[in-house]
Formats: sequence, C-alpha cells, structure tokens
Amino acid sequence: MAVKAKTQVRSSGKTTGIRKDNQGKTKKMRPHTMDYSIVFLVLFLVGFGLVMIYSTSSYKGSLYYNDAAYWLKKQAVFAVIGIIAMFFVARIDYHAWVSKKWLPWVYYIGTLVLLGFTLIFAAVTHGSKRWISIGPIRFQPSEIAKVVIIVFLAWYISKYVRKLRNVKGIGIAFLLALPIICVVAIENLSTSIILLAISVIMIFVSTDKWWPFFLVGGVGAAIMALFLVTQSYRMDRIYTWLNPAESENGLQTMQGLYAIGSGGLFGKGLGQSMQKMGFLPETHNDMIFSIICEELGLFGAICIIGLYFVLLWRFMVVAINATDLYGSMIAVGAIAHLGIQVFINIGVVTNTIPNTGIPLPFISYGGTSLCFLLIEMGLVLSVSRFMRVKD
Amino acid sequence: MIEIYVFQKRKYWFVFGCFTVFLLVLVGRLIKLMVFDSEELSKNALNVEQRERSIKAARGIIYDRNGIVLADNQPVCTISVIYNQITDPEKVIQLLSEKLDLEESEIRKKVEKVSSREKIKSNVSKETADEIREAGVAGIKVDEDYKRYYPFGNLASRVLGFTGADNQGVLGLESRYESVLKGTDGTILTLTDFRGVEIEMAAEERIEPISGNDLYISLDYNLQCFAQQAAEKVRKEKNAKEVSVILMSPKNGEIYAMVNVPEYNLNEPYELLEDYDTSEESQNDKLNNMWRNPVISDSYEPGSTFKIITATAALEEGKVKLDDTFSCPGFKIVEDRKIRCHKTQGHGAETFKEGVMNSCNPVFMEIGARVGAKTMLQYYHKLGLYEKTGVDLPGEANSIMHKLEKIGAVELATMSFGQSIQITPLQLLRAVSAAINGGNLVTPHFAIKSQDAHTEEVTTYQYETEEGRVSLQTSQTMRELLEAVVAEGTGKKGQVEGYRIGGKTATSEKLPRRSGKYISSFLGFAPADDPAIIGLILIDEPEGVYYGGTVAAPVMAEIFQNILPYLDNL
Repeated sequence: MAVKAKTQVRSSGKTTGIRKDNQGKTKKMRPHTMDYSIVFLVLFLVGFGLVMIYSTSSYKGSLYYNDAAYWLKKQAVFAVIGIIAMFFVARIDYHAWVSKKWLPWVYYIGTLVLLGFTLIFAAVTHGSKRWISIGPIRFQPSEIAKVVIIVFLAWYISKYVRKLRNVKGIGIAFLLALPIICVVAIENLSTSIILLAISVIMIFVSTDKWWPFFLVGGVGAAIMALFLVTQSYRMDRIYTWLNPAESENGLQTMQGLYAIGSGGLFGKGLGQSMQKMGFLPETHNDMIFSIICEELGLFGAICIIGLYFVLLWRFMVVAINATDLYGSMIAVGAIAHLGIQVFINIGVVTNTIPNTGIPLPFISYGGTSLCFLLIEMGLVLSVSRFMRVKD
Repeated sequence: MIEIYVFQKRKYWFVFGCFTVFLLVLVGRLIKLMVFDSEELSKNALNVEQRERSIKAARGIIYDRNGIVLADNQPVCTISVIYNQITDPEKVIQLLSEKLDLEESEIRKKVEKVSSREKIKSNVSKETADEIREAGVAGIKVDEDYKRYYPFGNLASRVLGFTGADNQGVLGLESRYESVLKGTDGTILTLTDFRGVEIEMAAEERIEPISGNDLYISLDYNLQCFAQQAAEKVRKEKNAKEVSVILMSPKNGEIYAMVNVPEYNLNEPYELLEDYDTSEESQNDKLNNMWRNPVISDSYEPGSTFKIITATAALEEGKVKLDDTFSCPGFKIVEDRKIRCHKTQGHGAETFKEGVMNSCNPVFMEIGARVGAKTMLQYYHKLGLYEKTGVDLPGEANSIMHKLEKIGAVELATMSFGQSIQITPLQLLRAVSAAINGGNLVTPHFAIKSQDAHTEEVTTYQYETEEGRVSLQTSQTMRELLEAVVAEGTGKKGQVEGYRIGGKTATSEKLPRRSGKYISSFLGFAPADDPAIIGLILIDEPEGVYYGGTVAAPVMAEIFQNILPYLDNL
C-alpha cells in the first residue's frame, strides 16, 4: 500500500515542503490527497447550518426586512467565500505560512494591532468594540485571533519543543499567547476563554509535564471564582444559570429550554419551530441549537453532536499522523477550538453551564466566524495532505 | 527532526477523551431535557406560544308575547392598536382620529405607548370599522363584538333594563334573567409569535361560543305602545312628574304592559333625560331615578283604590251588606279627630253600594271599624300586601304597614280609605286581582318561557297562584260594586262604550300633607263580569285638576278603548 501511495505521489510530480526524518536528514515531502471525510463533514455542517439559518430566521427576516432569506443570503455569501478560501488554503503547503522566521511575528503583531485598532477606533467613534469595518466589509478581529493563535503557537511549539520540558519554557510559551488573549478579553470575554483554552491545550499536549497544568488549572479556577465574586453582574449570570425560571435574565434560557423540551424524540419537523417566532432571541445565532432540538428532536441533536465527534476524531487522526509537530499542533489547535466551542455553545443552550455567547461552529450565523473557521479547516486539510500513511 | 513523542500522543488521547466525555455529558443533558422533562417543557412552551382569544357569545333575544323583538344584538367593533405592528404611526393617528372622531393628541398618546395592545375605542359601528379595516393600515386591530340593541328605543325601558360594558345585564329583565340570556363565550386558541400576532396557517383550536337563551315575555308590544302613548299624552297635558301604567291579566298575573313615562332611551341609557336633570343630586342619583321602576320599587299611599280591600274584607266577614245604610255628614269623628270626607258637604244618607260608588270616606271608616284591626290585617295578609309580589324584576319594594298593637281607631279609620299605609302599585293590582278574580292570588310576572337557541328546547316558567283567598261570592259582589262605580259613580269617566268596565278612582295626597301634591290614580278592569285585563294608572303630581276620577279614569278608558277589541287575541 505504502509503495503504491508513494508512486502515486511521485507521479504527481509536485514537491513542496521540507521534512526532517528521524536521522535528521532533510527529505522532500510529497503531498497526497486531503482527508475527504473532513471535507464532507465540514461541507455538510455548513450546508445544514444554512438550512437551519433559513429555518430560524425566515420569520423574523420577513418581518423586519420583508425578506425571508435575508440572513440566509448574507450567510451563504460568507459560506461560499469561506469554502473557496478553505480549498485554497488546503492547496497551499501549511509550512508556507511560516517559511520565514519573521512571518509568525507579523501575524502576531498584526493581530494585536488590529485588535488594538478596533478598540481605539470604537472608543473614538463610539461604535462597536468587536467589529472593524473596511469599506463594506465588517469583520470581527477576535475571530482572526483564533486562527493566528493556533498557527503562531503551533509554529512556536514545534520550534522550541525542547524548551517546553520545564515550567519556565511552558510559562514563556503561555506568556506569548497572553497579550492577544488579554486584548480580546477587554471586550469579548467568551472569545478570550476560547483563545485561552486553545492555548492551554496546545501547550499542554506539547510538554511531558502534567502537574503544572493541574496546578494552574486549580489556581485559575480560584481566580475565576474571585472574578465572579467581584463582578456582580457575572454573579448574576451564575444565579440565572442555577435558577433560570426565577431570574429576570433567565427568560432566554427558559425559552431555549422550552424549545429543546418541546422537540421530544423526533422534533416538530424542519421549519415547525414555534420558539423561533421571536420568543427566543438569537435563534439563528448562539441559540440555534435549541431550534435544531425543537425541529429535529433528540435524534437530530444527537446526530449533530455525532458529526462533531467524528470531525474531532478525524482531527485526531490528522494530529497523530501529521508529518511533523507543527502540522500536528495545528490539528490539535483545531480540536481544541472546535471541541471547546461546541461544548460551550450546547452547554449554554441546555443550561449545563452559565450563559455566554459563543456561536455553534459551522452552523450559527456569523460571517467572520464561519470564514475563519473554514480557513482553519483549510489548514488542517493541508496538514492532512502530508499525513503519513500507515505501513 | 522533531518527532511527535509518545507522551504527546498520550496527551492527545487525554484531550480527545475529555472532549468525548464533554459531548457525552451534553448528550445526557439533552436526553434529560428532551425525554424526561419534555412534557413539562412543552406545556410551558405552549403557554407562551398560545394565546387565548375569546369569541363573544350572542346574548339571548327578548321577544314580546307575539314574537316581536324587544332586545336584540347588533355587531359592533372594538378598535385597538398594536405597537409592534405599527409601521407608520402618523398614518394610524390620522386615520383613527378622522374615522372615530377623536382628538389627535389622545390617539397619539395611545399609539406611542409601548404596550402589547392599546384599546382606542369600543362600540364602533360595523360600517366605521369596515372603513378602517379597508384602509389597510398596519397595526390597527378590529375586533367584532355584540352590543345590545333595543329596536324600540325607550319602549318598556324600566322593565327591560339595559346591559353594561361587558354586555352583562344591569337592570330590569336583562339583569333578572342574566343567567338565561347570557351565553357562554367561546375561545380560539391560536399560536402567536412573540408579539402576540397570530401565525397564519397555524392550526387553531376553537371552542364555539354558545348563544344565550331567548326569552319570551308576557309584555305585548301593542298594549305597551298604547299605554305609553296615553301616559305621555296625559303627562304632557297635566304637566305631571311621572305617569305609570300597568296592564295585567288578573287570571294568571301575566303583565301585558308596564309603562313609566318619561321612559329613557335604552340604547343610550347614560344620557340623562331633561326631566331628571332638575335636582341638585349627583349624576349617579339622577340616573338611578331615571332608571328605577316606581311601580315596583316605590311604595305610596294608595288612597281610595284601597277601599276595594276594605270592602272585600267587610263583605267577606259579613260585616256589611250592599243595602246597609250609612249617613255621611262630610266627616266622621274618630276618637278626638274629625276625619273629613272628600265631599265636604257630605253624601247624606246612602247605602253601602252608594257609598262605594261615591267613594265616601265615612262609610269605609265605619265598615273598617266593624271589621276590626286584627281581622283587617289578616285580609291584608290574605291579599298579599305583606309580601313582595314576586314579580320577576329586580329591586322590588315591600309595603309599609302599621303594627297591629299600634293600630288605634284613628289608624284603622285612615287605613280603611287607603291612608297611613304604603304599598307598591303592583301590590295593589295583585290584591285587587285576587278580590275580583274569584280569590286567586296570582304572581305578577313577565317571563313566560325561554328557548335554547341551538336545541330549541323550551323552558316554561311556572308561577304560584294561591287559591281561595276570597270567596267566589264576595269576589262577584266586588265586581258588581266596582262596575257600578264606573257605570254610575266616581269612575264614570272610565267608561268605554260597548264594554263592561269595573274600577275605582283614587286621589292620594302626597306626604307631607298640604303640599298640594297628589297622585291621581284609577284602577280598572274589563270585562267587569269576567275580568281578562286589569289596569292601574298613576299620575304623579298633576297640575290643575287632580281628582283621579277626572284625570286618571279617562286615560285608562282611552287605553281600554284601544286594546279591548284585541283582548281576545292575547
């Protein structure tokens, strides 16, 4: 098999990327076909997302914009751009992004500048602090930060992996990620939590140490608790989480639960949701999963969770079989990103964890989020093209 | 080469394991919500999503005895605005102020108020509402409802009563038969969006309204009209305060007509009539005066018509015979009082029959004394004067009588010709009916039957009749006596050509005495030998001549003249 695969690769005649083998000798790498199961899963989820966005937003769209497909159209444009970008990125050798030593730093500084600029610009114009507009294009720099932090950390870790054997090295790696996390946290706590989780997981898997993470995890939990106590409105969020029915702010949570509960085993059928008739805010956005539950039932919801699981598992295959640590870490970053975001989103919708606004990957409405997620998929696909095929 | 170390792969699996556990937790949570809590959550969801809208049930129709509609329903509309749906507030304000004739500022306030629904005006006619609906301006909601409508305006206003804002009976028969007339509102359960707007195409659950039952009453539209016209005419002529007429069947108590002029407009019951806008009372009191039904709610000193009761008691007790002779010097000394007859020079020598025909007070004082207080009160009891008549109208008053131990000779004497006691006109009519119909104490009433609008099932109302209150003999004698009163006595002006009329006149001086205010009345029945109809007319505070025989009797004669030819049709 391996021989055959090699021949195929050779016949393509393309040689891109550089790989060092066990003996430290450099050797030309030959890309093969990307992991199509990931492609299909992603395309399916994006397509399903568009269907659900239409289902959840058509009523409000026709109400406010006299156009049932208002949100669908906007999202479809981003989906097309995103998918093109994904295939484009997938075709490019992922090493190309870090082929020069200064390139990762350009991404790093560039992202910080962009985030800073968004904050300052917003402060001047009193506009939104999460969005930046360049002409007709509006996007969220914090979504870019996710991709950048994955690429940057993957590059840094693969380069300095030996330094990560001690606490100092771990600390330095973490401190590198911290500026971006902190700048994002100023205005968008939930996204910064995602960034933090991605960073922690990527550093965690790259070192042989276990205890610093459990220690920091414990300290982090303590800081979190302190944070919650000092910030009363977030305490309120905890109260709402525990007593959604009694809390003033629990309405959205309760409506979400009503939607989920009324779905039953097989749901009301696609398009038959009642809660999307404006009872439940953010139906095409963060709360979209509750409408999936209402319309498609437990069966549909578990299918979607199953799809995410398979996708995570494919990322695992890519991560383990990646040809080098850099590629492997990109896949790990994608696992962390996708896993944590799916967990937080569905956790919030089902009131398993306190409320925080995180979109459901691929499905929730949001152009920037979808585009950069698809670019990230492109990176993983690019890594998959260089996977070692088992002998 | 930087290899992916084994410890790293172990950590990969650890992370992957963690995420797997997370996803399993979520699946577990979903199973709990969607399987175990599903029922309750669905119920709560439906609570939020479903809106109950009531469909007004039509109120039962009130028919007269011949099936003429006296109280009907008219579709009317309620106009409201829904804040969330308004796209062009200026247009809404302009349209509504124009069509509904309301101040712009008033509408603006409601249009701009952030509420789910703001009522602008109710009881809007269907034509106006249709015009508004056809204008097709977003945010205006038109709801159809029923409004009570009285085709004859003020006809029998104090009997029928009217309905309030929620279509509930407020007064009269509307109030008394509320449970019969009132229907059961239906409901539409519709799915709505968050603004409360019904979702088109969504299946709705509908519980149909059940209309109220129709009521058939004994009132006769024609008789009521005649009586009202006659009453209005005499009220105008005599510039009287009020004129009341009751026409009833003495045989079974069915009331054919009950008039109290001025009658108010049932379609605009809160519009105060000029006649009631004179006093210093509050608006509420004035309205209550206009709405009240004096023939059942107000007691008065009946005066000479009450002599029928005294005569009945005396005859029944055998204390007097028709040809017993009396002498009237124009007064009678009772203990230390000199009680006058209405004819100051006296009637001279007369038989009992002549005494009745002359309405001679001394004769009745004499026979009252012969009967005695205790026996007299027993007859009051027998003739139902101590109890309410039981008429099916709300607000009936009772009589005001002396207590037996307080009755001395003077009280007995005044009672004998209808003074110092107070009864309601209807109580008098009922008592006299018993005296002339062979001794049957009937229950005056209006409702005859009710009919279910859907099943057409008929419920007939039963009323009590107490028999044998007066002997047949005495009853016959009374009929003859009262026929003589009209034929040759004080009630001559109550005669109707071609008919045998019995009756008795009365002129009661209102309290306080010497105020110059009188109630002139006449009680008549026909045919005199077998009464099919009995009527009472009261003219409150007539100006000029105030004798019942002169003022009241001709009015009853006029009414009888009009209605007696039709009596067989009743």
